[in-house]
Amino acid sequence: MVKLPAIHIGKLSLLLSILVWLALLFVDLVRLFGIINEMDSGISDEITWILEILFFFTLYGFYSYSIGKNIQSDFLNLLWRAASTGIFASGVALLIELFYLSMGESKLASEPFLKNFFYHVNFALTAVFLISSALLWKHLILYQKNKPVVKQWQAFEFAMLGSMFFVFFNKNNFDYSFLFGMVILLVISAVLSGNLKWIPYLTFKEKWKSLLFLFIILICTGYLFRRLLAYSEAETYQVNLTDNLFLVALFGFIFIYALFSFLVTLFNLPTSSVFEQKLTEAINFQRLSQSIQPEENEEQVLDILLDSCMSASYSDGAWIEMNPEEQVVGINQLRFLDEPTKQELWELIKNQKSATDWNSENSPELLQPVPLKLEHPRYESALLVPLVINKSTIGRMVLFKEVRDGFNKEMVNIISTFVRQACIAVENHRLLNQAIQNERYQEELKIAQRVQKALLPAKLDHPDSFEICAYSNAADEVGGDYYDTYKLDENRYVLIIGDVSGKGTSAAFHMSQMKGVFHSLIQLNLSPAQFMIKANSALSKCLERNHFITASIFLINIAEQKICHSRAGHVPTLFYQAKEAKSEFMLFDGLGLGILRNKQYENHVQERTFTYEAGDILVLITDGIVEAKNQKGHQFGFERIRSLVEIHHTKSPREIQNHLIDSLHAFVGGDGMIDDDYSMMVVKFQSISS
Amino acid sequence: MLRLEKTKENNYDILSITGEVDASNSVILDEAIQELIAGGSKFILIDGKNLEYISSAGLGVFMSYLEDFQEQGINLKICELTPRVYEVFKILGLDQLIPIYQDKTMAFAG
Repeated sequence: MVKLPAIHIGKLSLLLSILVWLALLFVDLVRLFGIINEMDSGISDEITWILEILFFFTLYGFYSYSIGKNIQSDFLNLLWRAASTGIFASGVALLIELFYLSMGESKLASEPFLKNFFYHVNFALTAVFLISSALLWKHLILYQKNKPVVKQWQAFEFAMLGSMFFVFFNKNNFDYSFLFGMVILLVISAVLSGNLKWIPYLTFKEKWKSLLFLFIILICTGYLFRRLLAYSEAETYQVNLTDNLFLVALFGFIFIYALFSFLVTLFNLPTSSVFEQKLTEAINFQRLSQSIQPEENEEQVLDILLDSCMSASYSDGAWIEMNPEEQVVGINQLRFLDEPTKQELWELIKNQKSATDWNSENSPELLQPVPLKLEHPRYESALLVPLVINKSTIGRMVLFKEVRDGFNKEMVNIISTFVRQACIAVENHRLLNQAIQNERYQEELKIAQRVQKALLPAKLDHPDSFEICAYSNAADEVGGDYYDTYKLDENRYVLIIGDVSGKGTSAAFHMSQMKGVFHSLIQLNLSPAQFMIKANSALSKCLERNHFITASIFLINIAEQKICHSRAGHVPTLFYQAKEAKSEFMLFDGLGLGILRNKQYENHVQERTFTYEAGDILVLITDGIVEAKNQKGHQFGFERIRSLVEIHHTKSPREIQNHLIDSLHAFVGGDGMIDDDYSMMVVKFQSISS
Repeated sequence: MLRLEKTKENNYDILSITGEVDASNSVILDEAIQELIAGGSKFILIDGKNLEYISSAGLGVFMSYLEDFQEQGINLKICELTPRVYEVFKILGLDQLIPIYQDKTMAFAG
């Protein structure tokens, strides 16, 4: 496959237009030669016209491409392009005119071929200027376009297209039809020239520059038009290229639009500062609403607020201060004022009635900015603006002007809006910070939860002669229930279950202390009652005043099939005896740990020793299960636990436990309904290990 | 729901508790007892006739005053507990430390 080189439309159309122009020049010179030598060159006028139209088309192609490519919404740039083209075309035309002036009556001056050549050059440059300007005007007209404008422009382009071919019908006569066509095109041009939306977006300085460029364009258009009229009057050209409806209408269009733009820009000059002000205000709004990022501070917003309000009201001095009780202390921004002046001014303001009313206002959300008159040598009016967040005043902004009654309604309105926006930004910033803080606490709690889960044994110590399983659930992220096992030696195992009073974080801390106490004391080979006494003494030192821990401890001797049990205020443990098929909650005296924090505790703890046989079951629970309430306010209670165990006594501990938990959930109507920590441990004894 | 009512009878400051005492409102009970102590009462009787439920946090309130009362010679008694609430006191062992009576007259006599 032969790859065609990519066609460069711009270069191609430029080349074409140059070729067409050369052809036009050649054709006309040949015809001129024929006329001078009284020969019929056989070249009709139509060929010239066709070439002329082709020339217009190729120029149009080139410029619409090159302008479309370099499109920038910089209006000055567009205007400069048109102006510079105009200067060039006019310059060349002027040079040619000067050349002929200097020639006077010499032979060269009346040389028809040279004259004709210059005429063609003039024509080409004028066409270049007019077509390029028309396309630049198109961009200006279609700025912020809507459908009607686009339609109007298309109609104009069609009319212009038609006017190119008008020459065939009119034969270059200046008659009524020519006049009629021109009037139509000029009317459309005038209508289009109403689209000047780009002008307000120019700054004051840019407006001056565009006035200059537009003036140049007007001068060039006028001069070039005069030149062409001069050529037409001279009547030395066999085929007149320039008495063309298309060109004349284009002249009209370029001139009318430039004139309109010039006048509108001129009359817009005085109001341009207002437009710029509004634009700044809009930008300031955006800055205010965007400015606070989580890691930034409020000072920045207040900074922008103060600047925005000052520029909106043309203030000569201002300050912002926050109420001292606000967390952001030290924000005290002064603008064009020094501290003594500020104090002086504040004394003046403070004593005014409206300011005192303002200070004593009970509902800050109703506070409005208050304009004040001042008896001060320099500042004659002030505006007191409250900064209100979430129905409380966080501070105030005071603006000053050197003129009396300097703050009108519009300024007060815009300032109120600025302040509201800034306060929202500050409030959002604070809320965001709070949310971040909360999230951090949540994270911390999750860590606490993980650590606490690790405090409960993942694996329970037990011999083959009994099976064991356990379950614990906290009402909050962390809880105060505790269970554990310990292997003293081959034949002796310890089980413990405990419950810290209260729930949540404080309970969780005490639970970890309980674990520490258990693991230290259990190694001392204490009897269950002795263990409780020592644990009470240890915990008395570290438990909060109104906190206590209940616990049950079991020392199981599998060789003797004996259990020694002590209870410290804990919910009685259910003991199911398979042989008699009966069960009981083992309740006997035993005071909770940390209730009596002295020697007297020894008198309130007991221990019981009993034997067990294969098939017997121990169910250790915490009060969260017994006291779990259903919607009617009934407690789950001891009896339900007892009957469930009796029904399911043949099953494995895991199954018994699952039955208990399932019934508990069914009873209260869902896991989430239990608002206390609850735990259980189920042990089932097998036959004697041999 | 917790409602406390203070009356005086037979030289005793009677604190009647109505409703449930749990972690969320045990502070109110604590404050009421502190007020009684500050008022200089030496005989305090808790009337539990309408006490429906007491959690470990509520029990912690009574527990925390045991030593103070002993030192200051303040006499704390409880009467007319419902069986369910009495069971809670008994399980924890508080019945060994605080005298619990079936009714007011027995409490005054005891």
